[in-house]
Amino acid sequence: MICGEVKERTVAYLELDLEASLVRDVTAHLEGCAACRAEMEAVRQVLVRLKRRTVPDPGDRFWEEFPDQVRRQLAQARGEATRVKRLSPPFRSWVGVSMRSWPMALAASVVLLVGAWMLAGVFEPRDGGPSGKGQPVAQSPGEGKSDLPHLVEADWEVFGEEDPDMVLVEMASRLDRRTVDRLFGDI
Amino acid sequence: MVKAGGGGRSGIWDDMEESDNQLLDRYAAGEESAFEELVRRHQRTIYHLAYRMLENHADAADLAQKTFVQAFLHHRTFRRESSFRTWLFQIGLNLCRNALRARARQVYEDVEEVPLSAPLDTFRAAAASELRDRLGGAIRALPERQREALVLRVYHNHAFAEIGAIMSCSEGTAKANYHHAVNKLRRALVGGEERL
Repeated sequence: MICGEVKERTVAYLELDLEASLVRDVTAHLEGCAACRAEMEAVRQVLVRLKRRTVPDPGDRFWEEFPDQVRRQLAQARGEATRVKRLSPPFRSWVGVSMRSWPMALAASVVLLVGAWMLAGVFEPRDGGPSGKGQPVAQSPGEGKSDLPHLVEADWEVFGEEDPDMVLVEMASRLDRRTVDRLFGDI
Repeated sequence: MVKAGGGGRSGIWDDMEESDNQLLDRYAAGEESAFEELVRRHQRTIYHLAYRMLENHADAADLAQKTFVQAFLHHRTFRRESSFRTWLFQIGLNLCRNALRARARQVYEDVEEVPLSAPLDTFRAAAASELRDRLGGAIRALPERQREALVLRVYHNHAFAEIGAIMSCSEGTAKANYHHAVNKLRRALVGGEERL
């Protein structure tokens, strides 16, 4: 065993944390190597000095009162927890809804977006679509309305009761290609 | 090759752990005396851990109390995969980390507010203090994880496997942290002696 290998194992050797065969090898090396013996002694001194560092005892009274101090803090912490529960139901319910029903929130967002787009369609002149950028677009009769009945006629209640996400799926399936192009043409 | 475990505990300890769990059951059933017994059994250990990490009585006392408060507030979440004592150590050490980080931020803010005439005295006092306790300074300078492994091994005689459980790392990582810590202290002390 060479000095570097012994140095790597110095702490483990002092901690009695080496296999017996390695302990024998390190011991044999130390017997013939003054530098490694000095290093081993220096590390041992560190551990001895560490062990000597004591924690000042805070006194019997501190220990006697300690459980009562914990009991008081525990009661205070429980009281605060109860107060928070009692005082902030709107916050808690909001958090509960937002964490549990994010698919519903997503569906509602999409519905709002589509609704906004439909309203924009009602108030905008029909001679220029979203992709037209002011240019008249040739439309077949009834083309401007072709996508709207699909959405309006969707059976919201049936799908919504079973699975809110299915409303989105149903909506998507009823949009024709041209409507999709109109909706997302500018993106 | 390094042996696994690095020193374990006796069967007497296992019996005591069983008692801790029994006391927890009694506490859960509403027996107030079980609470007192559990606190009294571990109060010194947790206070010592906190004192070793925070190095003053007021902070250590506060943190030791908070450790028990957290344990009893959340005792139903304790899955008993480790001992109650190990669980207390985990809670205590987490609180110590938070306290040390908050203290580091506080010191940073305070330093910004020190008047220009103060630093000379401040640094002289700090230098004198460090001369008095080079080892203490070297321990404080250790990285968080190395210091934790050192405290748990030297002052609480934990096996490395248990240190790993408390620090949420492997036994090998716990050993490596401890070895690095001791070697750094050794180098710091040699450097200090050479400067003197």
